[in-house]
Amino acid sequence: MSYFDNNVPPKREDRLQAVIAHKENICSLAKNGTSGKGCLIQDGDRGFTQGTICLLLPALAMLNSLPDNVVLLHSALGCGSCTHSQNANVRVGNTHRWGKPKDGIWLSTALDETDVISGGEDKLERAIIEADRRYRPATITIVAGCVPGIIGDDIDGVAQKVQPEVSARLLPVHCEGFKTKIWATAYDAVYHTIGRNLLTERGVKPKTPQDELDVLKEQERLSRTVNLMNVSSMGRVDEQELERLLSSLGLTVNVFPVFAHPDSFINATRAALSISTCPTHDDYFLGYLEERFNVPSIIRHMPIGISNTSLWIRDVAAHFGFEEQAERLIAVEEAELKAALEQFRPVFEGKKVFISAGEFRALATARLLQEVGLEVVAIRSFHHDQFADIEYEKLAKEAKTDYVVDIANVQPFEEANLIKRLKPDLFLGHHNGNMTAAKLGVPTHVIYNTGLAYIGYRGVFEVARRLHRQLSNPAFNRNLADNLRLPYSEAWYESEPFAYLNTRGRSVNE
Amino acid sequence: MSDNFVERARYLCSLGGASATVTALPGGIPILHSASGCAGNFAWTQNGGSGLQVGGYCGSLTVPSSNIQENEVVFGGEDRLREQIANTLKVMDGGLYVVLTGCVPEIIGDDIFAVVNEFREEGHPVVGAATGGFRGDSYWGYDLVLQALVKDYLTRGLPKVKGRVNLWGVVPYMDPFWRGNLEGARRLLELVGLEVNSFFTPEDTLEAIREGATAELNIVVSDVYGQGAARLFEERHGTPYLTVPLPVGAAASEDFLKAVGAALSLDEEVVASAIAREKREYYKFLEPLTDCFNDLDLQRYAVVVGDANYATALSRSLADDLGWLPVLTVVTDKLQEELQPKVAARADAFSSGYRTNVVFESDASEVIGHLNRVWPRSNGDKYHNAFSPAFVVGSSLERDLALKIGAPHLSVSFPVANRAVLDRGYTGFRGGLRLAEDLLSQVVANR
Repeated sequence: MSYFDNNVPPKREDRLQAVIAHKENICSLAKNGTSGKGCLIQDGDRGFTQGTICLLLPALAMLNSLPDNVVLLHSALGCGSCTHSQNANVRVGNTHRWGKPKDGIWLSTALDETDVISGGEDKLERAIIEADRRYRPATITIVAGCVPGIIGDDIDGVAQKVQPEVSARLLPVHCEGFKTKIWATAYDAVYHTIGRNLLTERGVKPKTPQDELDVLKEQERLSRTVNLMNVSSMGRVDEQELERLLSSLGLTVNVFPVFAHPDSFINATRAALSISTCPTHDDYFLGYLEERFNVPSIIRHMPIGISNTSLWIRDVAAHFGFEEQAERLIAVEEAELKAALEQFRPVFEGKKVFISAGEFRALATARLLQEVGLEVVAIRSFHHDQFADIEYEKLAKEAKTDYVVDIANVQPFEEANLIKRLKPDLFLGHHNGNMTAAKLGVPTHVIYNTGLAYIGYRGVFEVARRLHRQLSNPAFNRNLADNLRLPYSEAWYESEPFAYLNTRGRSVNE
Repeated sequence: MSDNFVERARYLCSLGGASATVTALPGGIPILHSASGCAGNFAWTQNGGSGLQVGGYCGSLTVPSSNIQENEVVFGGEDRLREQIANTLKVMDGGLYVVLTGCVPEIIGDDIFAVVNEFREEGHPVVGAATGGFRGDSYWGYDLVLQALVKDYLTRGLPKVKGRVNLWGVVPYMDPFWRGNLEGARRLLELVGLEVNSFFTPEDTLEAIREGATAELNIVVSDVYGQGAARLFEERHGTPYLTVPLPVGAAASEDFLKAVGAALSLDEEVVASAIAREKREYYKFLEPLTDCFNDLDLQRYAVVVGDANYATALSRSLADDLGWLPVLTVVTDKLQEELQPKVAARADAFSSGYRTNVVFESDASEVIGHLNRVWPRSNGDKYHNAFSPAFVVGSSLERDLALKIGAPHLSVSFPVANRAVLDRGYTGFRGGLRLAEDLLSQVVANR
């Protein structure tokens, strides 16, 4: 039985034994890999924690991008208001793809005290029907937050019941935040509903070839068409870089699923290969595409950094038997890029960098930074699972010291303590993850922003160029540090940075 | 306005408003007792809605949060909260810690006040508020935090001090111009010799807030936000309150000072001379605009879309200060029905005599329908009195409307995704000048 036969996808703690609270060093993580994770206490957490995000946020980032989709949150009022910032990505994404900005449409059933007591299913039913009439969308994604998860509203049942009354396809998505600590479960939640609901024919008619030549042409085209998976971690500029590289191997690219029309999702089942850019994102769905539609997939390297981009291309080329062509491409690209990077090397040489992001992104970016001449002194990964073992190995080979790896769902208090000890020259963090370093006066750069280039060979150069710019005048952050302070006690800075690790529940129980 | 959903809500839940409010207090540390994603959701929301302001001393992902999970849902979260508060007091350096609940612990029935009281009894500056998201919007969350302060933080039994007032009604981060607006209103009050405790500006301190009960009057610049706290304040500390509209621009500021003067029985001469001085200054600044205002024909029809504070206040400034024609005023809060007439009545007595149409509508996509009802579209007539030249003052969600009717646009009310806001504000006489600058700059942007 497939996971996709259930209404709700499994959480990653169960499916992948993913964890969020751990301290390790690069060499031991690399050496021990999965087998060494006995020390990672399952379900362990800190006795002091700071707020983070939940799976609802990245799920909405994907869902809001879908053209002709309306997001209907079934939760209390505040859930989903994060879309106010994600909407910038929707507007820019539309502009980059179709020439003009367009706002996403998201709604909320805004469950109130009465709904909490008497249930919200009736309200949800009425909301679906009204949304269908008002907006006439192709799909309505019905996204459950925490409240229905506790009061027991059955969004799948409601969707099934109302479906015959509406013209939009109804897609239930489970994002009850309290159910998983691993927000990457978001990707599974969205892919789950795609897999269950959108991979059947609808709207778009497949080409019906008229003669044998057409049949051959279509076969030829499909045999060279690849799915390029993007769950919103790449902007258009990054997609274009990968499209450039893949098309120079003679491949046609189907970017999926962000900014793809729900009616076109069926195309993903006809491709010759699916290519992931990040194992944290796509393993759940690619497994399903393989098992159900016989679409093979590659999910290994993240094309961030020179060597990782080349490894990523080699994997794809090997699948199609294009190795020679790929080697020629890689040789030219690498030579050109390395020559271009030389200008920045004097500024980067000897500078220490602290990196923080989702696990794969952090590790692949660390590799990139090593390649341009920076020295990695600390990594904070938002979670840890087995897919990353290979990346820790790559990094360990190049590490100058046995630096610290903090597995933490952000937790900036640990970071503040670490930064004061390690005194990095540069910090790369995710959204809302640079303020700690910034207020400590460290030059910072955002590790992910869909308006900027990070991916492929072009991404290496653009990241280097931006870091060079940041390092050329870090006065903004320095001024902050001279005039502001972080909200931590002096006693905390004197404590061991991992003092609260795996202490949850102890103080009460002991 | 739909009964079944709200489209692109222009506010967060009460927890979101409460958390932002605590962050805005001097030395304020919110402690969320909630699921892990709430804090991140607020940070992302502020990123897209509060004019590029996210957090402060302790906001964004720095906020301590119990991050409760299925385990607590099953077994209760009070032990986890106790552990989190105890450790927060060790790790975080704050002056006031406010425990705020999200949906999950409230539904499962955690008694946060019992836990909070344990720490209060040990002398820690900790208070609590039940702010579960299903209780209301972020404006109500602001009110709930003020209520918590009134109940559990302010010292009781202090004598009133003549000329001392508290100023409320501007909600941090939900009004992207909160700091400038509080300062603008504060400055007006200082002009007539009052000592102002405004809670959230850099001049405010926890010591002054703790002595808030010494105020002889609470001034609430909102018909909605902070009203609950003002009522509770009167009950607990015997300080009456005055409700006035947000004083945006010259005409409203004049009325504001007169209303405050009357409520406090201030020397009429003092009030009149303060107004005269401010107006002299205001018109000195405005004077050189006269040529261009007339020569470039800068009068505009307008649609104004804003929260319960902004909608009528902005329309009034457009109508009374600039002589514009704000044909439609859209109030975007989902207000209780008895509050709607109160808010709408603010548009009844513009000093210019101009009458705007007030509607209550939260959904951005519905605004154009309201406009078509109050100003019919052309039927293809050769001569049509068109809604043009027009201007849209609203939030960044109204960009689409502005595009549709071919009008320039200014984001003022939440969400403001497309402006950077630091100390700018529209209250007071000076605020009126800022507003005129910002509106007219949009009109002449391509000049």
